[in-house]
Amino acid sequence: MRIAVVRPQVPFARGGVEIFTDALVEELRVRGHEAESVTVPFKWYPGTRVLSQAFLWRLLDLTEADGKRIDMVVATKFPSYLVRHSEKRVWLVHQFRQAYELDRTDLGQFGESPGDRAIRRQIQGLDRVGLGEATRLFATSQNVAGRLERSTGLAAEVMPHPAQQLAYRNDGHGDFVLSVNRLDRSKRVDLLLEAAAVEPTLKVVVAGDGPDRPRLVQLASDRGLAGRVRFAGRVPAEELADLYATCFATFYAPVDEDFGMGPYESFLSGKPVITATDAGGPLEVVRDGATGRVVEPEAAAVGAAAVWLRDHPEEAGLYGSAGNAIAAGVTWDMAIARLLS
Amino acid sequence: MKVAIFSPMPPERSGIADYAALLLPALQARCQVVTVRRGRKTPPRGTDLSVYHIGNNPDAHGWIVEALRRTPGLVVMHDFVLHHLVAGLTIGRRDGHGYLDAMEREGGVVGRLLGHAVLDKRIPPLWENRPEDFHLAGEVLGLATGLIVHSHYVRARARAAGYEGPIWVVPHPAFPVPDLAPATGVEGEPLFGSFGNVNASKRIPQLLEAFARVRQRHEASALLLVGATSPGFDLDRRLQRLGLDGAGLVREGYVDERRLWELMLAADVHVNLRSPTMGETSGTAIRALSLGRPLIVSDVGWFSELPDEVALRIPVDGDEAATIAAALELLATRPDVRRAMGEAARDLARRDHDLDRVADLYVSAFELASGGAAVGDAVLAAVSEAAAAVGIAPGSLEANELAARLAEVEPGG
Repeated sequence: MRIAVVRPQVPFARGGVEIFTDALVEELRVRGHEAESVTVPFKWYPGTRVLSQAFLWRLLDLTEADGKRIDMVVATKFPSYLVRHSEKRVWLVHQFRQAYELDRTDLGQFGESPGDRAIRRQIQGLDRVGLGEATRLFATSQNVAGRLERSTGLAAEVMPHPAQQLAYRNDGHGDFVLSVNRLDRSKRVDLLLEAAAVEPTLKVVVAGDGPDRPRLVQLASDRGLAGRVRFAGRVPAEELADLYATCFATFYAPVDEDFGMGPYESFLSGKPVITATDAGGPLEVVRDGATGRVVEPEAAAVGAAAVWLRDHPEEAGLYGSAGNAIAAGVTWDMAIARLLS
Repeated sequence: MKVAIFSPMPPERSGIADYAALLLPALQARCQVVTVRRGRKTPPRGTDLSVYHIGNNPDAHGWIVEALRRTPGLVVMHDFVLHHLVAGLTIGRRDGHGYLDAMEREGGVVGRLLGHAVLDKRIPPLWENRPEDFHLAGEVLGLATGLIVHSHYVRARARAAGYEGPIWVVPHPAFPVPDLAPATGVEGEPLFGSFGNVNASKRIPQLLEAFARVRQRHEASALLLVGATSPGFDLDRRLQRLGLDGAGLVREGYVDERRLWELMLAADVHVNLRSPTMGETSGTAIRALSLGRPLIVSDVGWFSELPDEVALRIPVDGDEAATIAAALELLATRPDVRRAMGEAARDLARRDHDLDRVADLYVSAFELASGGAAVGDAVLAAVSEAAAAVGIAPGSLEANELAARLAEVEPGG
């Protein structure tokens, strides 16, 4: 089949969705499909820009390319799922969250002006249209599916996607807790830094980059964490695999996260995950005392959980192994068979 | 956002007053809503959006149309046919010319001539015998910056009348079911109930004829007719003419809300027929859904949109009475069908007519109506500029394609 995998692209930014869709294209090709990634630059501000970006996707003609029919499009994220196609599959990573659960929070985008309120409502209307047209609708987690159903009434099948390809391995119980994430506020890496401030023996490595990095670096400095917290930046695949292999646990506690590849990558390295009770998607696989630690989103609780895992290597190993069994069950073979069926 | 609501409110006795009162607290929990005192022509200072509840009754809605004339805004269209309202606002105020103008706006020269005939009393009032042919909604539509309607039927009629503004279809909210026992002393096995005014447009003659047939086979069945008899409708003579002796017929006139619920609870099947329709939604049918009672309805307007699982729909044609009889017969002999339909009705009320859901849809419409036009203009400006820069001329195929796609992303499009 000729399959176009569509996604918006924030120029110069690369995160979970880019990794996921690139892998999907590659895995489709491996299975004999002619797959291509189709992207359109995305800018979400000022508010009206969101609608003109949605309009761009609506205008695209992906029925054929170079005189040859495109059999299917697979869309992942707002506003790419507004593209029109008779065989549109949506594997939803997330909706435009500022129009939903993030509205009127610190992470929201829209104010109280009539214009902002109208844009937000229109985005919701567009979701009902774009997602309602899908011939099959999948969500990467129960959390995403639940939000979708509450906001639009549309039901999605839950289908997690496999973690990115890395040389996953477990080189033993190291002495640091690892955070792998894009550095923006919603990922709540500051919670881990505050935990390190509370627990004076805790060592932390932060991998990833993003707009929140200067604030986080400043915070680490303010708390006197030099020597115990290392900002590794965006690291190459080999180094990332090394970090996973040598940490004693990972920290992954964004606010109401959609899905999050972090726990899966951690589990594939045999490492338990520390998350928070309000983290959303990760809670579907991180279970307290089974595959990691689930604690209140407070520095003291996170710090205590991290120290406990560091000081209980046997339990940490058991949790990591239990997580590994979950992550190993999510394969591209199964996912692609279901996606195309 | 501050929203001013122009609506009849209790103690005024009207379905729309009940509706507005039911909805008001749920809206006030979501945004700043004020109700405008009856007779006031302008919204309070600082209002972002004026919302007008419009129905066909000139006594209840005349002042609201006058306010709409001064400050265009979002119209909640409870009826699509507004002939009676317009007649009240014109002829009822000795403004024959106004009526002629309204008729001409909608029906051209023929409409104007018919209007003359009405004024000269050469033909019966059109709002009584041909309202569906001349809806006279043109002025209200012309003043509405957006419409909230309760059915796809009314939406389609507004579009057919040339309305191009945004329209939101918002279901009628379900009334909370009071904790009451079914009325005693009204019995039947089963008991069919019809609630509302007793007149020809509620298809009472056809219902009586159908019931008489069914009762021959189901002697324990009964028909409960609740509501005031409309002027000019002689129920006794109808019964006589149909050769019915009134056996099995239980009659109650106008009843208060509490008694209405008790009687509705007592009925096993609710019959809610009408033709012609003014595009209205039936508050009594919504109550039947909340109570989990199967419905028999006319296959017209909003009623046609009720799903098969909850309502048997009766075409308005030459076989109407026979079809009603078949529906009554089915529900008389199949309590299992009554139960299944009742459960589906209750589910529908919970799912589609839930008060909180309806209030959310209202606030969504408020927000789009208030800010949507400016947002639409901004998006249009950006797109137009880009289109012009690459030489896409107005009216070209490309421009039409752009317009079609743009309409899909514009607020209320």
